Amino acid sequence: MQTLVQTFMERRGDLLTALWQHLGISMASLVIAMMLAIPLAIWAARRPKWAEGLLQLTSVLQTIPSLALLGLLIPLVGIGTVPAVIALVIYALLPIFQNTYLGISEIDASIEEAADAFGMSRMRKLFKVELPIAMPQIISGIRTALVLIIGTATLAALIGAGGLGTFIMLGIDRNNTPLLLIGAISSALLAILLSALVRWFQTAKPKRALTVFGVILVLLAGGGAYSAYANRVETVTIAGKLGSEPEILINMYKDLIEANDSHVKVTLKPNFGKTTFLFSALQHDQIDIYPEFTGSVLETLVKGTNPKGMTAKQTYALAKQRLAKQEQMTLLKPMKYNNTYALAVTKQFKQQHHLKTIGDLTRIEGVLKPGMTLEFIDRNDGMKGLKKAYHLNTTAKSMEPALRYQAINDGRVNLVDAYSTDSELRQYNLALLTDNQHFFPTYQGAPLMKADFAKRHPQIVRALNRLAGQISETDMQEMNYDVNVKKQSAATVAHRYLVQHGLLKGAK
Amino acid sequence: MTSAIEFRHVQKDFNGQTVIPDFNLTVAQGELFVLVGTSGSGKTTSLKMINRLEAPTKGQILVNGTDAASVPVRDLRWQMGYVLQQIALFPTMTVAQNIAVIPEMKGTPRKTINQTVDDLLTEVGLDPTVYRNRLSHELSGGEQQRIGILRAIAAKPETVLMDEPFSALDPLSRQQLQDLVLKLHARYHNTIVFVTHDMNEALKLGDRIGIMRHGQLIQVDTPTELAQHPKNDFVRDFFGASRAKNVYDVYVGRVGLVQGYLASAPNVAAGKIATLDRQATLRTAFQALSDHDYLAVTEEGQLQGYLDRQTVLAYLGAHEEL
Repeated sequence: MQTLVQTFMERRGDLLTALWQHLGISMASLVIAMMLAIPLAIWAARRPKWAEGLLQLTSVLQTIPSLALLGLLIPLVGIGTVPAVIALVIYALLPIFQNTYLGISEIDASIEEAADAFGMSRMRKLFKVELPIAMPQIISGIRTALVLIIGTATLAALIGAGGLGTFIMLGIDRNNTPLLLIGAISSALLAILLSALVRWFQTAKPKRALTVFGVILVLLAGGGAYSAYANRVETVTIAGKLGSEPEILINMYKDLIEANDSHVKVTLKPNFGKTTFLFSALQHDQIDIYPEFTGSVLETLVKGTNPKGMTAKQTYALAKQRLAKQEQMTLLKPMKYNNTYALAVTKQFKQQHHLKTIGDLTRIEGVLKPGMTLEFIDRNDGMKGLKKAYHLNTTAKSMEPALRYQAINDGRVNLVDAYSTDSELRQYNLALLTDNQHFFPTYQGAPLMKADFAKRHPQIVRALNRLAGQISETDMQEMNYDVNVKKQSAATVAHRYLVQHGLLKGAK
Repeated sequence: MTSAIEFRHVQKDFNGQTVIPDFNLTVAQGELFVLVGTSGSGKTTSLKMINRLEAPTKGQILVNGTDAASVPVRDLRWQMGYVLQQIALFPTMTVAQNIAVIPEMKGTPRKTINQTVDDLLTEVGLDPTVYRNRLSHELSGGEQQRIGILRAIAAKPETVLMDEPFSALDPLSRQQLQDLVLKLHARYHNTIVFVTHDMNEALKLGDRIGIMRHGQLIQVDTPTELAQHPKNDFVRDFFGASRAKNVYDVYVGRVGLVQGYLASAPNVAAGKIATLDRQATLRTAFQALSDHDYLAVTEEGQLQGYLDRQTVLAYLGAHEEL
């Protein structure tokens, strides 16, 4: 409980931003869904055959799992707010359409006949008779849709649209329960609050309801206008993958760029998503820069076969060349540390079995209980290739990244995959096994951007190049430890490193 | 003077089946015309063709001498009140808003509308300060249909169509509302076409009555003519079948109609004659006959004729089948 309160106090700024984003996405989706579903339902109310088909269609749309829907939208509209809103609109259609349609088509036939017999026009009948009678049902449909949207909007974080889901994802990723709880509770409270508001609208006196509605509209429009105004200034958006390390790096980028050029404002999008999300965001100009690894570029982002046993320099050169040619992108000079895959065991286990290299594992295949991330198990430059290269015969259990360290600490597994800069190596007293056959490719981090962006912003390129060759593996482990375990903010940790190493002058 | 409504060789088909083959009828201005028939006889369909809720398959309907089909449908309906069996007040509107539906569409000034609403409510015995802002579900069935009638006449239409308006009401409310229709008809001199399946109601209300069967008008006549000279057995039987369930509820006026009044005034002392309105029931008549020898039947104070005990008993004998 105490940690919950503490986390809440530390994060309330972020929480407010996330809440606002969440509200924005949800409201936009709800309004669009209403504008689509209500007129459509009114139109269909006199055409039962069409209505039947539309009901079927909206039901089918709703049965698509939300994750799959988001995935389907990425190739079409990229990532960020747009696909999130589209997905949410699709989910909200059914309850609104269904309730509006039933509300109108179930009106007593004699009432309809009376309205016709008194010579009401189609529109007058709709607004004076049908909609008022169907209103309670329409409102209840809107409430259902609203609760649905607010719950599902937490998934928007997966495709970089922000919102309360970022807290939940971060909480899962960092095994941080208070964060997770804050995200989940806020989203639940938001749903309850807004649902109550909608119900109030239904019963409130028309004048007062209109006033409140007006105030809300002005607030939202004001927020929109403000963000439009804020966007007028040259803003550079830098995003990072999930985890503490990218967040530290992009904070360093921000510090360096802003110290170098006071006319540029940097917006950070930490924990924006996984590799392909970020890459597609960069392609679609939704972000300007993000830190990428040389190894990941060759492995997943560009086409071409990769020669074995390349040095770090060769890897960078090849990655840079292929990015420039295939994607018109520029990969700036990399930092020093190599954040590659590694296999880790406890120090005690290492001593007990006299382990030094990965090759030594073949001796003790019988006692191995590996726990690894699904991604590592499935990659050619991961477990698949490794087993061939070292003639290792063992089967790994797949685990969530954050859980496997817990598992080795509890003794449920005794061999895990790791990144060489993970703070957990330090936290759980783990040792790495030497990759004596140089099987793992080099993963050096460097800022990635579009080539024309680099051309237009030489100042930024120069500022970021100051990080070239900096930061060792131990430095990175240390900083990750400060963020993940000591719970310091990534901004503080990044700033401290830059000042200590003379890359930035004094305190801000 | 042109007729208010005229059907000329009107035919109506539903799904290729002819339900009304050839309908001809003229309703005069200011007449209260009742169409009566069993269910399925086509009386409601005929009514709905007047305000074009149903379109005739063939033939022509003239309203005030003009082909109804040539008039914009909304103009036609705005000058034609309509009262439904299901009452069908708009549930989200107050009593006042319901009454104001047509005047509002016609653009009548707000102040005039409010005045009309209050006047009309007062006229039907509902206190405007109490009822003006009530919703329909807060009213009894009889009160609801009062408002239904007011809604139909609020814009002072020349014609009012009533489709079995009282068949869902209890007997007491029905009687009160029938009286109300007669009163409002006398006041506004509008043309009313009233559809019912209740012969008693038809006899009480109609200036003329049209009896329908299988989409055909069997006989159109005044109540007296119908009662005394039924054209065929169907009309005669219809009187019998639609007789009040309880014979004591039959109106004395009807006994006069069916049996005929005495040929001359009885030559007895005035104290031996009881005066009854023609709408008094036989129940009252029996009481009166227990200490009087004759009944003088009046309609709105006008003497209609005299009945003696024998005539009343003869009616009972002929029509009572216990």
